[in-house]
Amino acid sequence: MSKVAPAGSGYQTAGEWAPRIVAFTCNWCSYSGADMAGTARLTYPANVRIVRMLCSGRMDPLFALKAFEEGADGVLVSGCHPGDCHYVQGNLYARRRLEIFADLMELLGLDPRRLHFAWVSASEGVKWSELIGRVTRSVLEAGPNGEWLSAPTAEFSSAKLPEPGPPPRTAPTRDANAATTSHLRQLARRLLEEGEVSRVIGYAEGAQSDQMVPAFVETPEDAERLVWNERCYANLANYAVHRSGGATALIAKTCDAKSIAGLLRENQLRRDEVVVVGVSCSGIWHGDRLAAKCYGCDEDVSPLADWTVGPDGTARGSIPAAGRDTSPDPRDAALEALSSLPPDERLAFWQGEFDRCIRCYACRAVCPMCYCDTCITDKHRPQWISAPQSGPGNTSWNVVRAMHLAGRCSDCDECARVCPSGIRLDLINRSLAQGIKRKYGTMVSADPAVKTALTTYRPDDAGRFV
Amino acid sequence: MNATAVETLVPILGSITEVREETHDVRTLRLDLADSEEAESFTWRAGQFVMVSVFGAGESALTITNPPAQKGFIEVTFRQMGTVTSALRRLSEGEPVGLRGPYGNSFPVEEWRGRDIAFVGGGIGMAAVHAPLWDVLGNREAYGEITVMAGAKTVADLVYRNEAGRLRDIPGVRVIQVVDPGGEEPGWDGEVGLIPQVFERMGLSGRDTTVVVCGPPVMLGFMLQATTRMGTPPSQVITTLENRMKCGVGYCGHCNVGEFMVCRDGPVVSGEVISQLPNEF
Amino acid sequence: MEQAGWILDEEQWKAWAGSLPASGCRVIAPARGPRGEAAFTKTDDADQIARGYPGKTQMSPKEFLFPRSETLFEFRLAGNTVTLVRPPRSDNKQVLIGLRPCDAAGLRRLDEVFLQDPADEAYEHRRNQTVVIVEACTEATPSCFCTAVGGSPGGTEGADLHVTRLGGSGRILLRAITQTGSELASAASASWARATEADFAEAGDQAEAVSSSIRRQPLPARTPELLEGSFEAPEWEVVASACIGCGICTYACPSCSCFDIADTGGAACGSRCRSWDSCAFGEFTKHASGHNPRPKQSARYRQRLMHKFAYFPSQHAGQLMCVGCGRCIDLCPAGIDIHQAVLALAGAARAAHRGADEGVPV
Repeated sequence: MSKVAPAGSGYQTAGEWAPRIVAFTCNWCSYSGADMAGTARLTYPANVRIVRMLCSGRMDPLFALKAFEEGADGVLVSGCHPGDCHYVQGNLYARRRLEIFADLMELLGLDPRRLHFAWVSASEGVKWSELIGRVTRSVLEAGPNGEWLSAPTAEFSSAKLPEPGPPPRTAPTRDANAATTSHLRQLARRLLEEGEVSRVIGYAEGAQSDQMVPAFVETPEDAERLVWNERCYANLANYAVHRSGGATALIAKTCDAKSIAGLLRENQLRRDEVVVVGVSCSGIWHGDRLAAKCYGCDEDVSPLADWTVGPDGTARGSIPAAGRDTSPDPRDAALEALSSLPPDERLAFWQGEFDRCIRCYACRAVCPMCYCDTCITDKHRPQWISAPQSGPGNTSWNVVRAMHLAGRCSDCDECARVCPSGIRLDLINRSLAQGIKRKYGTMVSADPAVKTALTTYRPDDAGRFV
Repeated sequence: MNATAVETLVPILGSITEVREETHDVRTLRLDLADSEEAESFTWRAGQFVMVSVFGAGESALTITNPPAQKGFIEVTFRQMGTVTSALRRLSEGEPVGLRGPYGNSFPVEEWRGRDIAFVGGGIGMAAVHAPLWDVLGNREAYGEITVMAGAKTVADLVYRNEAGRLRDIPGVRVIQVVDPGGEEPGWDGEVGLIPQVFERMGLSGRDTTVVVCGPPVMLGFMLQATTRMGTPPSQVITTLENRMKCGVGYCGHCNVGEFMVCRDGPVVSGEVISQLPNEF
Repeated sequence: MEQAGWILDEEQWKAWAGSLPASGCRVIAPARGPRGEAAFTKTDDADQIARGYPGKTQMSPKEFLFPRSETLFEFRLAGNTVTLVRPPRSDNKQVLIGLRPCDAAGLRRLDEVFLQDPADEAYEHRRNQTVVIVEACTEATPSCFCTAVGGSPGGTEGADLHVTRLGGSGRILLRAITQTGSELASAASASWARATEADFAEAGDQAEAVSSSIRRQPLPARTPELLEGSFEAPEWEVVASACIGCGICTYACPSCSCFDIADTGGAACGSRCRSWDSCAFGEFTKHASGHNPRPKQSARYRQRLMHKFAYFPSQHAGQLMCVGCGRCIDLCPAGIDIHQAVLALAGAARAAHRGADEGVPV
């Protein structure tokens, strides 16, 4: 490869192109380290534009996305060594968050040679100059990032993804559903009659035969509308938030209860505002397939449940769940197939997915964990996510949505269910969750007291920082 | 539609030729069109608005604040509020802007002939009554008594404060400045209170006065109540609405209220029309 | 009036429709989307163009006249000089083939918005290049309710040419509805057999049969007036209670026309784009000051329905801005059914009126 160029010039290929690298550096260490390199007259390639931040913990993945969108060929994040953070632990949070971000970018097919992380202290001028040389060479090898995340050079055919799970079969019409429904109605009636709750949010028959719709029941008589069956897709946790005038009883599947836990954990809901009615669920069905999320569901009715309703009756607290299908989660097979592809094909796949995004924000609206008053995509100063419903804005939106849910997603898969364009958001969420589990040993907990993976750290976390 | 017609959503070019500070966050800009032919043919009526572009930031609907008699240029007064107005504030003399318009209906100044008129503006709402005020004053003898009431939170927030002297010099023009309680300064000789209350106290003849009012939605509501008590018919209470707009020509749907597109069927409306529209302002 | 129509066999139909791309037309036809759903797609494939499809596409074809995002102009600043560059416009004829009658009716609603005075030039240009070939429905899906809003499975509104696949016989009735339609067909129509009264009657019966399979109730008379008077009705809270505030219904809708305009890029160069927008979003009406005239989701949902069933009709001689395609029903994450919602509101308003008339205390 080329040798280090003289100071003041960048790497040049035969043509005009020289790599452009944006380095986000911590003010207290790496920025001073870069300064030190300059003072010591160390030479390193001039391809780097430095953006100074107060702490690597400030590094929002959006900054990297924006840099790529605006034409950067590579991004470097550099902060203080673990233990040296000016703010004690900012860099340790950064390490986890950026590690997960890098995983996501790898899943999406970004050339890993474009994204770099390092610890450089104020005294490490030499390390800085060597680092920049190394990063520049790496980006040079990756070549120009002509278009947003570079245009795919390969084609992807969806035929390469495995079938979503075992072959289609007939959904079990369970006699048990009728019994559960009846117990559910009795409980709802009782809770309303005794004034324990002001409303019960559950499911009722919709106009379409195969979809149960949210039902808001406020009188004991109205409880007769409630139903339970394998078509009760919706996660109702969202509907419990911001309600005044008494507690809400919420019918919750095990997966939904995790969202309730998330809302409690993040102070969007108070425990006394909600009575969790766990249903003994044997999985929900989309057409002739068991929902993918149900394969991995090996938990009993959520420990959060105040009541459990099942075919056998109603009990206080949480009781063991119905039997599960223990076949492997079909999303894992799809992820495996994707990860076995070369990066440019993976990129082609995801660009095809994001290209279909119409920015209806149904993924955001349906997600219980997306509760910001003003979403980042609606902020205009600056406009982080460009408005046109195509190209870079679509990619940024989908990446940012995923990152904001990383470690918090309760795996209800509602975003993937409602996406009118069928974007495989389920694969993105699943991949992030699996990565977090592999690296930090935690899944999102049903216990509101347990912190999520990216809001904590361990001093010895592994990561890409060098 | 001929082939050379300007496209509806594409602005024509102009530039800022004068910047006047009205308050710490309100500014008036004089805008001149780049093309002299376009400038020549650019005419408007008091109450119409333009979409002002700051390239890279977007467009904002701003009322034209100078009277139509001043041909060849327009003025706009804006408070720094959102993305576009913040960007507009960063521009200085000589810098380019885009313009589309003029859009919307206008104040029926001809119908007011012979009547007393009160122009009432709360905060940046003064900008909206400025063009009809000076339009009327340009033909002073055709109208009765003129009352100008300018209100703001504090003395420092009064828009067009410097104009008060010039207005008072015109015969038959009364100027009242009002600030919210607590907004006065030592030596303040204006009124202290809320505009609708002060207005009602002034002893104007409700029947003979046309009230032109613009201000925040809450103030408008109270002004409608006050004028009703004073006996002003709703058809003689005129205001201008300011819903969020994107296109200015009735396509985009943002400013829709009931059967009304504020940009196309407004922005100037009477109390009578308002009472028939859903309360979505 | 004598109807112009021809009877084609499948070979003739495919030969003609399939040759449209070769004659320089940009042809949009229903294809299989990534999940097996029907989706309008640009294609040159004769088989696909001629094939036909059951039911309806998942998204409406409106994006071919009113794109999801469209660049209005690009700008470049050098010093104090601005240059605006308009995107090039295609002068190729565009043929939308296989639209359902509701789809074509939806395009006519867009016309009402974008071809008003002043007309939207970009839309008008595309509209003038476009020929619409409607294919009558052979079945109704559970969400279909065109008959409830004045449409028909055999309707010709907005069509230039109209195709009916006469049940199982392999015969295709092709009708020219407009001059534009006849012109498109003129190259080949001399060689086709003229349709007879019996053929028209057969097509009519077929549409009638599909109509009668739609079980959804027609809207009550004077629905616009009933809704207009029910702005404050408590039922809005009920019908909108499950609404999550996404934009699916408006984006899938063949007649929803709201858009946003936004700049991208920086102060030196960039572009201004218009993109679909949705009245279901909280930001839609939010002022820069933070004031929001529609602060609640129920108010936003009410706006969508009122616009379609009250405001628009009152400005367009009673014509509804809903064509009954049912896409919003199929795609709503919360299972909200617009047809049921309008019936509920209109019904409640009527009951209130009747109550008032009969002196029953409200």
